[in-house]
Amino acid sequence: MKFFQALGKIDRKIIFIVLAIVIIIPLLKPFGLISRASSRAEAIFNAVDAIPPGKPLMISIDFDPGSMPELYPMLTAILRHAMAKDVKVILLGLWLTGMGLGEQSLTTVSYEYNKVYGQDYVFLGWKSGVLPVVLGMGEDIKKAYPADYYGTPLESLPMMANIKNYRDIPFFISLSAGTPGYESWIAYAQSRYGLKIGAGVTAVSAADAYPYLQTGQLTGMLGGMKGASEYEFLVTQKGYTRQFSPASQAMDSQSLAHLLILILIVIGNTGYFFTRKVTRKETK
Amino acid sequence: MQRTIPLAICFIMGIFMMVQFFVPHPISINSYDIVLRWIRIITIFALVLGVGSLAMYHTTKIRRRVTGWTFSIVTIIALVVTAIIGLIGGVGRGSWLQVIFQNIFVPVNSTMFSILAFYMASAAYRAFRARTKEATILLIAAFIVMLGMVPIGSAISKRLPELAEWILTVPNTAAKRGIIFGIALGGIATSLKIILGIERGWLGGGKQ
Repeated sequence: MKFFQALGKIDRKIIFIVLAIVIIIPLLKPFGLISRASSRAEAIFNAVDAIPPGKPLMISIDFDPGSMPELYPMLTAILRHAMAKDVKVILLGLWLTGMGLGEQSLTTVSYEYNKVYGQDYVFLGWKSGVLPVVLGMGEDIKKAYPADYYGTPLESLPMMANIKNYRDIPFFISLSAGTPGYESWIAYAQSRYGLKIGAGVTAVSAADAYPYLQTGQLTGMLGGMKGASEYEFLVTQKGYTRQFSPASQAMDSQSLAHLLILILIVIGNTGYFFTRKVTRKETK
Repeated sequence: MQRTIPLAICFIMGIFMMVQFFVPHPISINSYDIVLRWIRIITIFALVLGVGSLAMYHTTKIRRRVTGWTFSIVTIIALVVTAIIGLIGGVGRGSWLQVIFQNIFVPVNSTMFSILAFYMASAAYRAFRARTKEATILLIAAFIVMLGMVPIGSAISKRLPELAEWILTVPNTAAKRGIIFGIALGGIATSLKIILGIERGWLGGGKQ
């Protein structure tokens, strides 16, 4: 009986230590679980792949460092895919605290592919307010963003010469950790201007995106770190990059962490059932 | 008068924007453009108000020595220092703002969220009990989705990811769609109430 009581009362410090071990060990010594791409990830990959060279892909960074492990690898993998294909990139964001991450990823990837700022990619940065930014760009991007993140007027950037509004953007991806995020883009840019949208979301909010996938309002979706690893898998498989893939590397840790949580739930429930039976008998 | 004018503006603009959406005439498009410009300006004022409100709240806490007032000092210092550095040094590559962001904000923010994983593991162990039929169904669904959505799931069984996908695509989508419809209808009803002046909470100031 004491054994079953103990099963339901494992000290949280022990849980923390075991979880830390389960996460750290596969990071140091991976055992190579591979994420095959889901149809949702393939849909985003194909949409980016279908953008003709010279045409722009717009990406919105709607996350902050809190969701960095899940969404930052997506951003980097998508940027690598676009730049390898000579697709122009317009980066912006609805979260002010994500701008530094955008800057970091753009700097890294543009260097890998020898891309020039203003010609191959543009960083618009952040503007206060969601509605005026998302709706405003539907009319004229240069009115919503007269200058880029660094204060350079958009008129002076060669890449922006032939880009007026959403009609000139073949595909858009929102990497979203909450509100404002992909739902804001669907509500205002997709519904009103017909912008073709894909989303990268955190694992906890992936379930919320399924209705939009079924209606076709979202072209595809990358869900959590698994989604990021699926995109990394596709980009690597097609030979667009041979760089380190952080999300794929972390899949072993995530798998084991999920497994540990499930084992803990089973242990907790085993303890609960056996002690409940005894408690019931005692009360009778 | 204080209430009538805002209510009239709200009513006229609400009806105008509803009609404008369906009218592709140049006058309609130009006026929409002007409205967007107004919203942009109003939003910037909201940002100024936000910073002012934050500063006032924390300076009051410091003055009154409310519990945890020392944290308010940190907030005020962070606000002032970050603003000055950003205004003087800019936000671009290699700027001090970027250095602060990469070396303070990113690690602190990431750490906070990383800790959640540990608390979630502990909470799942303690609270996730199959006490009722509903809880048991939830537990089984959680098991399938948690395993099916990571690579180890397909290593255990090829059917697991398919089953997880089915749970997310069918029952989950059905439930979510119901919720979305409810929220949307609620949003429309509330908007109409505001436009027609039935809901007046946004005016503030209590009863008159």
